[in-house]
Amino acid sequence: MESISKVIWIERLLRWFLGITFIYASIHKIIDPAEFAKIIYGYGLFPHFAINMIAIILPFVELVTGLFLLFGIYPKAAATIIGVLLVTFILAVTINLLRGYEFDCGCFSFNKNDTLSGRYFLLVRDIIFLMICLYLLRFKVKRHEENK
Amino acid sequence: MKRIKECLMLIILSSVCALLYNTLSPEGIALVGEWDTSKGVVSAVAKNDPVVHGLEIDSVQTAKEIYDSGQAVFVDARSQEAFDGGHIRGAVSLPVYSFEDKIEQFYKAYPPSTYIITYCSGRECQDSHELAQLLIQIGYTHVRVYIDGFPVWQKNGFPVVKSSTEKGE
Repeated sequence: MESISKVIWIERLLRWFLGITFIYASIHKIIDPAEFAKIIYGYGLFPHFAINMIAIILPFVELVTGLFLLFGIYPKAAATIIGVLLVTFILAVTINLLRGYEFDCGCFSFNKNDTLSGRYFLLVRDIIFLMICLYLLRFKVKRHEENK
Repeated sequence: MKRIKECLMLIILSSVCALLYNTLSPEGIALVGEWDTSKGVVSAVAKNDPVVHGLEIDSVQTAKEIYDSGQAVFVDARSQEAFDGGHIRGAVSLPVYSFEDKIEQFYKAYPPSTYIITYCSGRECQDSHELAQLLIQIGYTHVRVYIDGFPVWQKNGFPVVKSSTEKGE
């Protein structure tokens, strides 16, 4: 019983961490969608007609999934969506690193002076987030046991 | 199947919130932006967007003709560091992010009736438009934006100062 409780707390802490991280990451994008749209344009990977829609909707997907993860509502669905987003970010960053494209990730703030080492750091960070996501998706202890 | 339904529900909820917020927010943007550089400076077309295509001079040749006529003052909207690294010969530096600190001195030297051409680093840069709007707000009546900026000017072999220590070429 003690080990189940420990596992439940690990899942809960990871869920809170990922949830708060995504809520925090969404705020500056929601406040300044025009700047976020320019960041998406700067990636040079998305069709022009889709850039604004991505800039409008993506931050709210991050916010809502973050809130759902934080409060444990449909946590697996929220983790699935965050996982898909992270895979997309990782691919976008990798493609631009490989082609030597200068870009601002726009993840937590709009930083025009992003460095190359900073871009490798964000790749590693996103991979760690993805591993947390996979852990949450594999988590199998039933909810009713959580309440015991 | 249940997971897919939950994911869809989450995405629909997020999209509805996002579109509603975007409609009501003063910072909202158009559903489709202007990202084609052949049509002018790129823009998300925000409600408070500084980009006004009507002010744009979209040909470096036209900008050079105005320059040669001597009627206009070219104003560099980029950072002081970028200006010091090279600029259009005779241009005045007024970085858009230092506008409040530098505008008083600029205003004394160039009255609001002065014909002003702002520029920055090209069609992916909005600083020249932002500077133009700030100048218009304080009373400048004859402001235009040369949108190809310093790189295209330099590429065409037009007069530049390569660094702040050189007089020109």
